[in-house]
Amino acid sequence: MGSLNDLIKQQQKMLNKPEEEEKTEEVEQLVGFIIGEEEFAVPILSIQEIIKPIEWTRVPFVPEYVLGVFNLRGTVLPLIDLRKKFNAPSAEIDENTRFIVMKIQNENVAFVIDRLTSAIRIPKKYIAPPPETYNNEEELISGVGRLEENRIITILNVDNLIKKEEIVPSKN
Amino acid sequence: MDEMQELLEDFLIEAFEMIEEMDQDLVELENNPDDLELLNKIFRVAHTIKGSGSFLNFDKLTRLTHHMEAVLDRARKGELKITPEIMDVILESVDAMKAILEYIRDNGSDEAPEIDIEPIVEKLDAITKGKSVSQTENKSESSKKDNEKVGNINLDEITLDNIDEMDLDSLSPEELDKILDKLVEDVNSTPKEETQETEENKLENKEDISKQENEVSKVPQKSASKIPSKQAQKNALKKHITTTEQTIRVDVKRLDELMNLIGELVLAKNRLIKIYNDVEERYEGEKFLDELNQVVSSISIVTTDLQIAVMKTRMLPIGKVFNKFPRLVRDLSRELGKKVKLIIEGEETELDKSIIEEIGDPLVHMIRNSVDHGIESPEERIKKGKPETGTVWLRAYNEGNMIVIEIKDDGKGMDPEKLKEIAIKKGIITPTEAENMNDKEAFMLIFKPGFSTAEKVTNVSGRGVGMDVVKTNIEKLNGIIEVDSIPGKGTTFKLKIPLTLAIIQALLVASQEDLFAVPLSNVIETVRIVEEDIYTVEGKSVLKLRDEVLPLVNMADIFEIEKILEPEKYLYVVILGLGASKVGLIVDRFIGQEEIVIKSLGEFLKGIPGIAGATIRGDGRVTLIVDVGTLMKLAKKTHNKKIVTDSLNESKKKKEKPSDYTVMIVDDSAMDRKIMHQAIDELGVNIIEAKDGLEALNLLKQNDIDAMLIDIEMPRMDGYTLAQEIRKYNKYRKLPLIAVTSRATKSDRVRGVEVGMNEYITKPYTKEYLQNVVRRNLKL
Repeated sequence: MGSLNDLIKQQQKMLNKPEEEEKTEEVEQLVGFIIGEEEFAVPILSIQEIIKPIEWTRVPFVPEYVLGVFNLRGTVLPLIDLRKKFNAPSAEIDENTRFIVMKIQNENVAFVIDRLTSAIRIPKKYIAPPPETYNNEEELISGVGRLEENRIITILNVDNLIKKEEIVPSKN
Repeated sequence: MDEMQELLEDFLIEAFEMIEEMDQDLVELENNPDDLELLNKIFRVAHTIKGSGSFLNFDKLTRLTHHMEAVLDRARKGELKITPEIMDVILESVDAMKAILEYIRDNGSDEAPEIDIEPIVEKLDAITKGKSVSQTENKSESSKKDNEKVGNINLDEITLDNIDEMDLDSLSPEELDKILDKLVEDVNSTPKEETQETEENKLENKEDISKQENEVSKVPQKSASKIPSKQAQKNALKKHITTTEQTIRVDVKRLDELMNLIGELVLAKNRLIKIYNDVEERYEGEKFLDELNQVVSSISIVTTDLQIAVMKTRMLPIGKVFNKFPRLVRDLSRELGKKVKLIIEGEETELDKSIIEEIGDPLVHMIRNSVDHGIESPEERIKKGKPETGTVWLRAYNEGNMIVIEIKDDGKGMDPEKLKEIAIKKGIITPTEAENMNDKEAFMLIFKPGFSTAEKVTNVSGRGVGMDVVKTNIEKLNGIIEVDSIPGKGTTFKLKIPLTLAIIQALLVASQEDLFAVPLSNVIETVRIVEEDIYTVEGKSVLKLRDEVLPLVNMADIFEIEKILEPEKYLYVVILGLGASKVGLIVDRFIGQEEIVIKSLGEFLKGIPGIAGATIRGDGRVTLIVDVGTLMKLAKKTHNKKIVTDSLNESKKKKEKPSDYTVMIVDDSAMDRKIMHQAIDELGVNIIEAKDGLEALNLLKQNDIDAMLIDIEMPRMDGYTLAQEIRKYNKYRKLPLIAVTSRATKSDRVRGVEVGMNEYITKPYTKEYLQNVVRRNLKL
């Protein structure tokens, strides 16, 4: 019985902790993942779901990073390879590969990532604007977060990840 | 206020429906001026619109229809004979009425400043009065009398029998207005209630209206409460709605939603059938299969029926469009001084609402064209020994999943040589192109932009709009145009249009490894050819098919698909047709015909040239649907810059000596690999080794492999699964797979064949035997 009580206490402690934290400072909730050598993250609220890879269909006349389209429970979604988008060398799909479905401009779009890391709670004060040295012309990056043990995550600007005019040029 | 809005909407829908019918009836009336039934029908329409219009306070509309009604009423009573001149005036007033109604629809009032009804009203009045002055005088006298008597009349005495004695026509518009104002006031103060109506009721209502109108005309000064008008007015409006048919109006959006859901169901059904087929293969002879089969077929039948039923709710008879053409032809022939008879057939043929809306304009244009350019003047016709009156046939019928609309005339026809001449003069084609053109292709020239055969520009056609607009419109509907003409005898146009746009029949084809769905409505035929059938004319590839020469393009070139398949002896060609043009599309395989549901590719991928959308197949995979319109444009571009025979040879690789070949050995035992390696090494081919199925699959993708030796029992992925995976790829469809295993039972072998193994070698084997098998499979 004692152990159960401990457990409940522990849980309560955990439940209360975030609240206390939020009272003192604003916290950003992110989901981290690996693409190539780097760890990226996106706000947890922009994620619709995370699924295991499904077969996709190629689509002609689109940039290389648009792998094609696939069927997610009856809806046809575009699939974007973030490795190609970030000019990282391409990799085979393995058991860690996931598709992250995110809502961009009210449309669901899936992105291939190498593997998920963890859900991250990071106080806003630890997030710095993207460094000058980054090539951030397209404003793909919204900031850089510093976590314990020198873990650095690049936070992506979800809305800028793909652009319609880049994929299908309006005329020819 | 909302109730009024609702009433207004109902009124408009009804009015437009009635007017549509009226147009046709009027033209018929001109031919049979004595048809009393027809006259009565037309009179009733004018009367009804007047009644509802006045109720809704549309003074201008009421005034116009009132005067129309007067003319029609006299004709109905036999006091007036309908001559073409009178008919012109009536038709003019119908047009004005239409214009006012359209104005009401768009603006909610009938001010319509640009529509001046006074001249028409005058003309109508002249007809009513002018022809028989004495009668008109009589009338006004009698109306005076009526007015005097007004106070004495007992309302209850008025019945259906004595309506005809009353003369509504003699009322001045001002009087009528006053009466109507009062009525409207009364009605507006009463909330609308729904009442169930029976046939009997309806009759009563009719009485009510007539009654009440009489009453009001006689006793404008009587207190409103004495007039049983509130209920009657309401019923009058209800009457129009219920008299039509047992129908309800449904928002098209709801039908669209329903159609979407059915689409999902069709997809699920396709998937179920696919799964059933897989299950059937595996559990052949099992008892539960029968039951499963029954369920699957009944679901499949119900789904199809449901789909047809919903599709039908969206269907309207094409008569809705055809109805306006008798009028059109009549006006045109009068204007052009020609005699033309229009024969309409198959107006009950049904089409999707969205298509009905789009088809009207092109048809108007084509019929104008037939009357203006096709049919000759009466003198000319007599000279040629043809009947004086020309005939235009407008016919609709179903042909498979298409509807065919035929516009045929017995006029002068088209001369292909003359067409070519004009096209050359206008720079549309070159003289060389003209030479290679057959008659059918020459007829198609009229659909080219900038082509107009009319030597003089008339009011009717030849205004520079041209037939190319027709073509564009038909192409929008994924339709096909065919033309046939015999000089001196006449011309036939055939428009073939798909019945519906949401769920379509498609031909599935493979270009290299990619599948595409081509709408079947645009597939004219499919043919198998050999490379020798392809000709190169002026640096462009063409296919001679019977008497036609078609541009030929490889689908892989259009979509820039990498060529990995080696060309085979036979080439498969889809002959695509859209509007007036045709093209031959080389594909690598025909998969078959399937019913598909069109889905959007989403905001980001919308508008990719050549792609209309996507569909989800029975196996859950996505297949792209080609957009025939843009595909044809792309095909033309590709056709101009790429010779098909060159493109076919791109993927041909030369392999002559054994060292050009690579064989992969897949076995988890190092020992077994070594034995095989030694045996095959003597053949002089390259060898790659893999320890299990997964590794083999990866190596296969990275290397150019010509044959595989596969063990069955392996960790991670066994040989059967490996073979199955390999066969999923189109490009490995013909890759020789040789099972090398100690599993020797019959069921093992059968399994091997099932998963796609070409040969089955059981261990132990002799070195020579293995070498022979490999050599045979590599064709060394």
